[in-house]
Amino acid sequence: MQANESIYNLISREEYRPPKDARYKSQFRSTVKMETTSNKASHKTMGPAKVKTDDPREFLKKRSKEPQHPPKSDFKYPDDDTRRPPVPTQEDKPLMGIKSTKNFITTNAVENIMSVPKKPAPNFADTKKGDTHPLDISGLVPKYIKKKDFGEVPDYLTRRKQEVMRAQEEYDAYVAEHYKRGAMQKLTEQERQLILNGLKKNWEAIHHQYQGLSVVTDTAPKKARKERMEAEMKQLERDIELLEKHMTIYIGN
Amino acid sequence: MAENGTEDINKLDLIRTIGFNGNIPGGLKVHPNRQHVVYALGNTVIVEDITSHQQCFLSGHTNDVSCLTVSKSGNYLASGQVTHMGFKADVIIWDFEKRELYARLTLHKVKVESLAFSPKDKYLVTVGGQDDGSVVVWNIAKKEAICGSPAAVPSDGTTMCVTYANMCDETFITGGNGTLRKWKLDLSNRKIRPTDVRMGQLKRIVKCIEIDEADEFIYCGTTSGDILKVGVNTCIMAEYGPVKEKFSLGIMAIGLLKSEEIIVGAGDGTVALVRKTLKRKKISKVTGGVTSIALRGLGHQFFVGTSLAELYQCNLGEFTFDLVKTCHYSDVLDVTFPAGASQLFATCSKNDIRIWSTTTGAERLRITVPNLTCNGIDIMENGSSIVSAWDDGKIRAFYPESGKLMYVIHDAHNKGVTALATTSDCRRIVSGGSEGQLRIWDIHEKEQKLVTAMKEHKGKVACIRLRKTVAECVSASEDGTCIIWDLQNFLRKQVIFANTLFKCVCYHPEEFQIVTSGSDRKIGYWETFDGSQIRELDGAQSGAINGMDISSNGKNFVTGGDDKIIKLWGYNEGAVTHVGMGHSGSITRVKICPCLNYIVSVSADGAILIWRYPD
Repeated sequence: MQANESIYNLISREEYRPPKDARYKSQFRSTVKMETTSNKASHKTMGPAKVKTDDPREFLKKRSKEPQHPPKSDFKYPDDDTRRPPVPTQEDKPLMGIKSTKNFITTNAVENIMSVPKKPAPNFADTKKGDTHPLDISGLVPKYIKKKDFGEVPDYLTRRKQEVMRAQEEYDAYVAEHYKRGAMQKLTEQERQLILNGLKKNWEAIHHQYQGLSVVTDTAPKKARKERMEAEMKQLERDIELLEKHMTIYIGN
Repeated sequence: MAENGTEDINKLDLIRTIGFNGNIPGGLKVHPNRQHVVYALGNTVIVEDITSHQQCFLSGHTNDVSCLTVSKSGNYLASGQVTHMGFKADVIIWDFEKRELYARLTLHKVKVESLAFSPKDKYLVTVGGQDDGSVVVWNIAKKEAICGSPAAVPSDGTTMCVTYANMCDETFITGGNGTLRKWKLDLSNRKIRPTDVRMGQLKRIVKCIEIDEADEFIYCGTTSGDILKVGVNTCIMAEYGPVKEKFSLGIMAIGLLKSEEIIVGAGDGTVALVRKTLKRKKISKVTGGVTSIALRGLGHQFFVGTSLAELYQCNLGEFTFDLVKTCHYSDVLDVTFPAGASQLFATCSKNDIRIWSTTTGAERLRITVPNLTCNGIDIMENGSSIVSAWDDGKIRAFYPESGKLMYVIHDAHNKGVTALATTSDCRRIVSGGSEGQLRIWDIHEKEQKLVTAMKEHKGKVACIRLRKTVAECVSASEDGTCIIWDLQNFLRKQVIFANTLFKCVCYHPEEFQIVTSGSDRKIGYWETFDGSQIRELDGAQSGAINGMDISSNGKNFVTGGDDKIIKLWGYNEGAVTHVGMGHSGSITRVKICPCLNYIVSVSADGAILIWRYPD
């Protein structure tokens, strides 16, 4: 006991003082109280109470205070109603005088002699005294391995497997479709070439103009023009390089 | 007492006080409304509802309350106090309905011995102590003294008790060492005139006086253990008894029943019902000397207070005593919670260790070791034992349910064990002693072995705290050092010096910092890694800080000390967030419960206060 003591056990053992039972009070208390007052000296001042007396003809008769029993009834078994009628006795007359000539004894004998003997139930004996038990349910005779579809995957399983596979495929297809719809568009090789050629053409046009510029750039508009052209060509060069560098291009939507 | 600028600081909510000063003669009274008991605890007077146990605190005295009375109508309470030699001791009259101070009467020197109200609440008579020796009658309505007189002739000893007559507002009786006097108040001349009771050859020291309903006889309990029955009108002793087999250790309290039977409380704890003929009828015994008997109503039920701070309730018919209230009767030195449980806490004091229920305040277990003082207490983390440090130099462990002794480590420290801590794996105890050593003990079921002794401190070890990993501990000593120890190689890691007597130290839950405090009233935050100071706070304006504990989440810590105020600080802010005022003695230890529901503080007057931890 002491070895298992723990201070945490004191927590659960919160002190509980059961409330005291109510003080005992006799159930006859009111009766006693009433009787002691009511039966005491009831005729003290006014004489005994005037009550109607009984008729002298209705005197107390012998055994009149004994309990009244119900009248006696015959004994009956509980299944008396459901029982079959008794076998007729020798003295009983047949109903409506009908009589049978059938010899029950010989017919019974003949029937039994002629009948094919019943096959004994397949049993096995497990003790030397010959205690028998039914063979069928014992498991001693091979039963299930002789079934036609023994060792094969049952039909319903293959069916179910196929169903699952089909559902999976449908689902995959649906998902692929869904992705495809949301995916980015790929630029085809043709389109790419087209854009590339266009860009190069633009570059050549600007380059041609650029070559035709005057050698001296002495005024501000000239300088601005030259610079603008240079910037445009640079931008085009950069775009061309980008398109040439990457073979596959996706367009974001 | 209150600090300046505390107006904007929240008050801590006091849930319960466990405390009762049983040493005051007649210090327990039942209010005439039969619903409240009044008793003293340190310098406060407590009014407690008998059924709901709701307490109300009347504080106004500057030192311990020495006597207490309730007026017959129940409108007033009065209490007297002791002070230091040469100072005046106050008598305070309290308004019971409003629960506030009605009048403060200052005349007696050093101690007020006893006081009594007149039956119609007109006058209050008070008796001063040995250094004062006077009787003073006060007018309650005018809140002033009417007259005073020396209580006894100089050849007699001190007067110890006073009782007013039940019918007449002008008669009262005083009694004491060899003196028993009836006084008559002459209001027009402002005089009180004594008549000495003739006792013949009998010499008695009267400790308590009760007067019967019709003012015919007074009954006096004496230190010799007998009752004197004296006629009031004749001033002649009528009878005394019991002649044979007197009550041992003297009669300290008397209660008078309407049937003229007397309930007697004796110094050895005997409570007896005594017949009119002064012979015993029924006897029972309680622990501690009976110091007060308070009748509830006519006395079908009465309360008995004893010097060992126990309060019993008794039904007169059965004369059986139920313990209603108990507490420590000397300074409580330590308090601790079981790990992770707030429902219980353990405290230790002189002679005993007690386990209390936090929710009900009921005592669950008491372990008594007579005549020894328990300085420190700790509960093993798995709850299997209560380990305690005793002033006879032994460490004792107890079973927590039966309270039986589990093992003793003899001569753990040769001058008394002062501090103690258990490791979280429950395999070791670290103890500190008065001589300044720190010793580590291996605890096994059959034997307890000393692992090592670490001799660095030069003074008493006041507090030891361990890290959760058991690899390090910190000890605070009154030699002005605080040492962080390596518990694997048993070496000193860091030492902190300060010009103080360290009283308490705490690890912050993250264990990188420690907080210390002591007699210099400073709270210091220190780094454990290199022992450098991070911060210093002023913990109090007056009085050393004795107890400190940090909450398990590390957000707050609580301090308490000689200034009798509990302070809750924010750890990071370093500022007081809540204060709790209610202690009447200097606070010795404070603990925050592990679930952050309560703060428990214990003090040198034996009180345990449970506060609600603020959200």
